[in-house]
Amino acid sequence: MNKPLDNTLLGRPDPLAGLRDAHVRWQHDYADQIGTEREAVNRSGVAIKPLYTALDWDARTHAGLSAMPGQPPYTRGIYATMHRGRTWTQRQLIGLGTPQDYNARLLEVMAQGADAVSLIPCNSVFRGVDMDESHIELLGTCGTVVNTAEHMDRALQGVDLARTSCAMNDPSPFTLLAFMLAAARKRGTDWRAITGTSNQSDYLSHYVANHMFFRIALPGARRILGDHIAFCQQQVPKWNPMSVVGQHMQQAGATPAQAVAFTIATAIQNAQDCIERGMAPDDFLPRFTFFFDISISFFEEIAKFRAARRVWAAVARERLGARDPRSWRFKFHAQTSGIDLTRQQPLNNIARVTVQAIAGILGGLQSLHTDAYDEALSCPSEQGARIAVATQNILREEAHLTDVIDPLGGSYYVESLTDRMQAEIERVLAQVDDAGGMYRAVEAGLVQRMIGESARQFQRRIDSGEQTVVGVNAYRTEEDASARPINERPDRAAMQAHIDAFKAYKAGRSQGEVLRALDALARAAGDPKDNVFGRVIEAAQAGCTHGEIVATLRRELGFGHVQAMV
Amino acid sequence: MNTETLIPKVLITKVGFDGHDRGSRVVAAALRDAGMEVIYTPPWQEIANVVKLATEEDVDVIGISSLATDHLIVPKLMTALRAGGLGDVAVVVGGIVPDEDERMLLDAGVARVFHPGTALAEIAGFVREAAHGVRARRAHA
Amino acid sequence: MSPLPKGLLAGERQAVARSISRVEHGQAAAAALRTALAPHLGRAHVLGITGAPGAGKSTLVHALLGELLANGRRIGVVAVDPSSPISGGAVLGDRVRMGEHGAHPDVFIRSVASRGHLGGLSRTTGDIVDVFDAAGFDTVIVETVGAGQSEVEIVKVADTRIVACPPGLGDEVQAIKAGILEIADILVVTKSDLPGAQSTARDLKDMLHLRAAGADGDWTVPVLCTTASTGEGVAQLLARIDEHAAASGRGRRLAARAIAEGQAGEASQRVARLAITDPFVRLLGIEWVSGSEGAAAVRLVLRDEHLNFNGSCHGGVIFALADTAFGLASNSRGMLAAGIDAHITYQRAASAGDTLLARATEVSRTRRLAVYRVDVSDGDGRVISCFTGTVYLSTPRA
Repeated sequence: MNKPLDNTLLGRPDPLAGLRDAHVRWQHDYADQIGTEREAVNRSGVAIKPLYTALDWDARTHAGLSAMPGQPPYTRGIYATMHRGRTWTQRQLIGLGTPQDYNARLLEVMAQGADAVSLIPCNSVFRGVDMDESHIELLGTCGTVVNTAEHMDRALQGVDLARTSCAMNDPSPFTLLAFMLAAARKRGTDWRAITGTSNQSDYLSHYVANHMFFRIALPGARRILGDHIAFCQQQVPKWNPMSVVGQHMQQAGATPAQAVAFTIATAIQNAQDCIERGMAPDDFLPRFTFFFDISISFFEEIAKFRAARRVWAAVARERLGARDPRSWRFKFHAQTSGIDLTRQQPLNNIARVTVQAIAGILGGLQSLHTDAYDEALSCPSEQGARIAVATQNILREEAHLTDVIDPLGGSYYVESLTDRMQAEIERVLAQVDDAGGMYRAVEAGLVQRMIGESARQFQRRIDSGEQTVVGVNAYRTEEDASARPINERPDRAAMQAHIDAFKAYKAGRSQGEVLRALDALARAAGDPKDNVFGRVIEAAQAGCTHGEIVATLRRELGFGHVQAMV
Repeated sequence: MNTETLIPKVLITKVGFDGHDRGSRVVAAALRDAGMEVIYTPPWQEIANVVKLATEEDVDVIGISSLATDHLIVPKLMTALRAGGLGDVAVVVGGIVPDEDERMLLDAGVARVFHPGTALAEIAGFVREAAHGVRARRAHA
Repeated sequence: MSPLPKGLLAGERQAVARSISRVEHGQAAAAALRTALAPHLGRAHVLGITGAPGAGKSTLVHALLGELLANGRRIGVVAVDPSSPISGGAVLGDRVRMGEHGAHPDVFIRSVASRGHLGGLSRTTGDIVDVFDAAGFDTVIVETVGAGQSEVEIVKVADTRIVACPPGLGDEVQAIKAGILEIADILVVTKSDLPGAQSTARDLKDMLHLRAAGADGDWTVPVLCTTASTGEGVAQLLARIDEHAAASGRGRRLAARAIAEGQAGEASQRVARLAITDPFVRLLGIEWVSGSEGAAAVRLVLRDEHLNFNGSCHGGVIFALADTAFGLASNSRGMLAAGIDAHITYQRAASAGDTLLARATEVSRTRRLAVYRVDVSDGDGRVISCFTGTVYLSTPRA
């Protein structure tokens, strides 16, 4: 038996001697009963053993154990009270049909306990195309058709913008937020009271992994983001203008560790851009939030979030020079991953979402979206949305998952895995640093190649059957068609009425005001001293449509083309 | 007919607004690995441009990937293809298509609708057959 | 099938596309089309654009398209991609179709796969360019994906050859294949907003002084800098392209083709003459099939006298057939070629009544030595024997 040299040399008894002996006995028993096994590896490439003990902890783990929630490096949680003080925000993504349809569903969901608003616009809005230039068949099927400030006002009817947190899923140039601020101004709501997040402000993640949202060429998007952060910091100080998104990358195939590394690298890039504009880190870092996918790799996700908090605390403090502890806190919203859901045997997805949600909660998220079970089939149904919200309520109030802060802290496995995930995250972060930072790395295609390789590896594991997907490559059944929900489509007549009203609205506007506002917007794009986002809001208030605003900026700053590589 | 010429030429594209192209990339790669020549485009193609592309590249088969509801405008594409003299080109749709819409697409002239989970070999086989059929009919025209 | 599809000369899109397909499909149809197109050529200016992968060629092409369109031109683009050596399939055209110009009515983009024989691709590309020319396009752009030796061959199909280099090459400038600098009419340093662009331009200018004077000695090869993403330098590039067209470019490819065809004709005649005057060839009954520069094909119908004691074709006969093709191919250029080494493998037997075909192709050639490979196949097209031979070259016969 090996005894540690240091202690016996010094004549002290080895405190772990008993453990070591017992562990060796266990290893023999295990090997006898199981024989040889192939080493398991999690999605991030970290080797996973059948058993963890205190022997798996090194000096770093021991040091980490003294971290308390609310104290740097925040491994156990960014707040002292975590979910006991304030439960996670139940924010469900909703989007469909006309603004009236959206409003009806929103009020329903809030009555069931959701306490925050999120709006998913129609795909036409994502592409920057107004409804009178779209095929009507494609309007409102997966999101709400909002093209003007007036539409936004209607969609948020009955919501007190000073009291309810709103998340706008709208990429650069953040027209939907502009519409919301215009509506707030009209209602007399003070912008300084408004809370929420620009959920899709991470243009780099769009370029890399979600082309749907990439509207304006990279340099232009970079400029607009800087303007957006600066404007909000001044005039909408409780708004989170920066949501750094790891979800897109993970859904595109990045491993969980890569997703965190790329996300933190992006945050560093955006922070450096702000510092270059003359802002101090503590001016804007407290309003940086993160947005992650939660896969079904249960323990890996929990460790990933714990490690992310540690890495970010060090980055904010040491690399970015932030002094305010609020800048060091890794706040994140998480969504259960749609990639793990299947079309086959869709009700199984309820179980999957539950497991993913638990991982996110135990990982210490601040805000959670649970997918509906039919998310893989099409846009979620009412029933699916209801079950998704109920799942969260059950986890919190029946399973009491919030009663103990970081309950897996101290677990031999989870602490050891947190260390390994941190090492992997830092390794990938160093690669991005070597490439000159995230913007350069993305421009050069390095990030895309790394994600592509991870995606191919994962697909090989599924194709070979090494990774089971129940109902797809194992445990298959004859599909019962009655279990498939009926797809909701927006009412065609109502949508046509919406389009007709929109056309009438455009005809009835003050054309002079509209043109002046668009002209000012265009000039702002060419003037680095002007604030493009401020001009977007003015354009919204002047009655400009979303399509007009986006078209103007695409013309001035470049259309967001992406490389489609096979 | 010279057997060397029967390398099927396939256009893989997306119409409408959805931008998720992972699936169509996988199919494009699979068809290439099955020995076909694939013209691959970014998403968000206008219907008129799909007709232009298909004309210029003289493709045998057009594969439309649809994950949201973009398949709902495929009938408009079929009309445009016929108007453009490409009525003999085979069109297949792959992705998330509810059962009730599948019938509608087949009636509009779509040759086949592939649902998620279909083996890539099956897609490749069907596309190859369809391409041969298109060439054979043209040779006799 | 009439040689020229209806609507081709009028530039109708579908007629152009189907003509191109006919050219790709096979020799007989292509040959007929080629003859029919000949009188209608000479109006288009053909640009060949090549450069190492990553040199920003497709961005440059895109910017050039914009400039050409602004100048009222109608443009045909041939984008060449390699086929997968494993499956024979290919993914084509994605890089060229990134921008919006592909949708413009005055732009026609055709993607072409190498189909495993890049050497032969230059013929097909040349034919496709001719289709665009006959159809009335003002400018034809040929764009290849890399800058290997075969891609250089493809670019030779053009009147004006443009080579794109990324900035910051440094020592790698030295490594640029000599063949590329030899053929370039215009050198473009792309992405010139990046550091190193100016020094790369200087390095290229220095290298140009080392190259031998080209056939068109009047043209000084310019080195231009462009930033295609902003459009900087692209108007100047088009101006130089038009200058080159006026000076020597336009129609150059047709003149070069005529010369090459002349040379090919000469080689073919030479090979035929040699075959006819060879006594042993006559003795065995070997017939000449075809010949060109560095290649030859001969044929033999097997009779009983050619068989061995097993009743199959004597190995010596097969060797003689292959050796004949070898000799004709190696002497096709008029240099005296003496065989110094040969070896053969026999894969299959052949019997009386079979027709054997031996095809020789040149594998390599230096000043003094050349190596040829001969495949002997039977009537079903199966290769029954492979032969490799080396010759020593000396001064031409008087």
